[in-house]
Amino acid sequence: MSAEIRGGGTESRGDRGGAGGTGAARPLLAILLALALGLLLTCTVSDEPIRAFRALLSGALPDVRWSAEAGWSVRRLARFGAVIEDTISLSLLGLAMLFGLRARQFAMGADGQLFLSALAAAGVSVQLAAWPLAALPAAALAAVATGVLWGWIPGLMKARYGANEIVTTLMLNVVAIQLYRLVITHGFNDPTAGFLATPMLSSGVTLARLVPGTQITVFVLIAPLAAVLAWFLLNRSTWGYEIRAVGDSPAFAQHCGLPVRRTMALAMAIGGGFAGLAGLHLSHGLLKRLPVDLTPGIGFEGLVVALLARNDPKAVLLAAFLYAYLKAGALAMERASDVPREVVLIIQALIVLFVVCERLLPAPVERWFARCWRAGASRWRPVPPGGSHREC
Amino acid sequence: MVTHPIPAPQAGPTGAQPKLRITALSKRYANGVQANEAVSLQVLAASIHAIVGENGAGKSTLLKMLYGLEVPDTGSIELDGRPCRFRRPAEAISAGVGLVPQHLKLVGSMSVAENIVLGSEPVRGPWLDTAQARREVLALATQHGLAINPDARVDTLSAGEQQRVEILKALRRGARLLLLDEPGALLTPQEMQGLFASLRALVRAQLTVVLITHKMAEVREACDAFTVMRGGRVVGGGPAAEAGDKRIAEMMMGHTPAATSVCRVDARGRVARVQVRDLCLLRPTGRPELMQVCLDVAPGEILGVAGVEGNGQNRLAEILGGVCAPTLGVATIDGQAFTGRGARQARRQGVGCVPEDRLHGGVAPSLSLADNSVALDYFSAPMSRAGVLAESRIRQRARALITRFGIRARDEQVAIGTLSGGNMQKLVLARELQAQPRFLVASQPTRGVDIGAALSLRQAIVALRDAGAAVLLLSADLDEVLALSDRLVVLFEGRIVAHFMADQVSQQTVGRYMTGMAADHGAGATLQSAITAVPQGRDSP
Repeated sequence: MSAEIRGGGTESRGDRGGAGGTGAARPLLAILLALALGLLLTCTVSDEPIRAFRALLSGALPDVRWSAEAGWSVRRLARFGAVIEDTISLSLLGLAMLFGLRARQFAMGADGQLFLSALAAAGVSVQLAAWPLAALPAAALAAVATGVLWGWIPGLMKARYGANEIVTTLMLNVVAIQLYRLVITHGFNDPTAGFLATPMLSSGVTLARLVPGTQITVFVLIAPLAAVLAWFLLNRSTWGYEIRAVGDSPAFAQHCGLPVRRTMALAMAIGGGFAGLAGLHLSHGLLKRLPVDLTPGIGFEGLVVALLARNDPKAVLLAAFLYAYLKAGALAMERASDVPREVVLIIQALIVLFVVCERLLPAPVERWFARCWRAGASRWRPVPPGGSHREC
Repeated sequence: MVTHPIPAPQAGPTGAQPKLRITALSKRYANGVQANEAVSLQVLAASIHAIVGENGAGKSTLLKMLYGLEVPDTGSIELDGRPCRFRRPAEAISAGVGLVPQHLKLVGSMSVAENIVLGSEPVRGPWLDTAQARREVLALATQHGLAINPDARVDTLSAGEQQRVEILKALRRGARLLLLDEPGALLTPQEMQGLFASLRALVRAQLTVVLITHKMAEVREACDAFTVMRGGRVVGGGPAAEAGDKRIAEMMMGHTPAATSVCRVDARGRVARVQVRDLCLLRPTGRPELMQVCLDVAPGEILGVAGVEGNGQNRLAEILGGVCAPTLGVATIDGQAFTGRGARQARRQGVGCVPEDRLHGGVAPSLSLADNSVALDYFSAPMSRAGVLAESRIRQRARALITRFGIRARDEQVAIGTLSGGNMQKLVLARELQAQPRFLVASQPTRGVDIGAALSLRQAIVALRDAGAAVLLLSADLDEVLALSDRLVVLFEGRIVAHFMADQVSQQTVGRYMTGMAADHGAGATLQSAITAVPQGRDSP
């Protein structure tokens, strides 16, 4: 017994490095496999698959050129800016989804929370346009509070009445989106806009652009800070402890006297707060005015990001960036080649599918990969790239 | 071990032919654990061979390799002198090997006959030929003397009967070598004797049985030979007749076990710390799970609760732990009611609780050891301040608990689910004792835990009693209840049917009350209650 434990101990220490390493490497392999499959697929529909694929992989990057007469010039900065903006939205929504999932609540309410908190933030800013100094903090507060509230309602319904959170959050999404449209259509709109949208927020109350030609704002700092905050909440606060315990084993939490029901509602409410931040980013950073026909669905991309990051706040930024990058690349591919949009979407879905199902890799592939990884790891000692360790 | 060539198989009543020969079998799991190392042993045909050892000694791995659930790294397995290499259970089954797992894998809603033929059903056209299945099962049962009703639904059967179904299932698939993984874990003494009688009958029909057990008495009374494993290696063995309890225990643990004698306390007449009065729990259907349970536990006393599993013990523990509320009745601690107000309230009033199933309620498997150790007081100083966990203090205390309770873990950061059952259970108990309960409800505190760990867990419980706490011990292991308790009650179908002084009653007597063969109607277990009189003076103290 003791020999076994000791043997196991030393081995698993070595193993841990490997596991931490493969934690980051396996999604990479999954992405490579998905891209390879995507390339095959592209070959079947395109006359110039390589060019098309290059557009997918590099289309999102800015185009840096040098010419004798103009010197260095950067083109397509807006496109890369869009990747960053998307990364910010997606990582905030990923964090929003992650809290529910960590407490074993499949709360899908990020969409509704996003819509309502963007609307609330815009409303507050329009009301407080005369006091620019107070407007922005008040808008932020309104956005987060709306998100928390809209997350807490289904949480309460689950905790009090056992209402299935998937159903309630999806239905509340419908309510939220229609409410959003109702408010903008009847009342909160700008007749001079030429289309149904909220009044334009004056530049004094919105977030300033940091990089010209893009919509990158101070949120480029807030998103990482939000990830750090999420990590801290989950791993260093008593609430986070309750969320992790309830999520891992509700029976354990109940036996130890943890407030299981309160924790369910709390996790969903905290998630709502992060979705509220995404709403603020949407209204005050990206759009400046909210159109009535804002497309729902980005909340579910947050779910994909949370899954890609395996519910680890530290990995959310990377996962969001990856997803946003591929989205922009897919758009570039569609524009720059003869590949139809549908195929692009299929490739994108394949990548997500492969990453999420990476445990389903065939055993020989996995063994081969583990061997390569170990060989690689022994060559380059400092292995784990950021966000590869799992805390839970 | 033996290297001379093996003679050709000769069936014969002598039973001297080795049915199974294992040579230098090794298995290392992907996570690096060397589960088996150069294991060699022989099993004679038509014999019962016991493999004994602590948890984690590699017994289950050995059985899994024999059944094709694991593939050995090196070494050979020979059946009837022919080398075999099973890659999956189907190959083992076709070679005549059958396994009766520890946790029976039957479909509760189907009949006995349907379960037995499952996987190789007799069919008529596209339909299951139920009549034929029934006939086959009856014939098989009669042939092997394993009485069973083929039409009974499996979930209405007792654990012993279900085990018989598993054995029949293996036999129907043509098993000549029967592997049993801890068959005694869930059985009453009477059922255990029945099982061994059945196994004897199988051996007389030239079958061979290999079984895993923790219990020395089973080896001595029912087996022909035994092998002791420790740390993945074979450390001893021989004919069962020569087995001495003490020697086997030494071999299993690698050292001499400390004496487990517990001095008993007779608390009758004292003031009770915990009073449970008329506790009833009805299911929504109205069926009672607990009926008018009355019991007292005095400070410095262990009250044992014996009973076949599913007779209300788990419900009683849940009610007393505050996890579920009773339909009627109340329990008080030092005069204050604590039931039906949630687990945290019960714990605030000084109740500790070791849940029945550590993986279900005792630990959160993927949280770290440190996180698991702080579940009872994470919300208050000094483990957290203003909602922020004091991480270094938590870890420091977790390390102290690891040292004090001898938990074998690399550090306090590992996920607790990676530890062995015994080490997990040590942490559960460590956490409860850390909270210094005035009343501890311990359900199955040593289930699935190796002898060494069980010993230290029991010592910790007795030490808690000696420090003045009241302890309610619920265990399916009758040996344990009898060894540790001061008083003892038997639960049968949710009622207390007997009340004994634990040092004045025999296993057989308790077993008769557990199975409902005897009952003391209206028995209670308050400190004033009468002790159940055992008729005909069967018991000598």
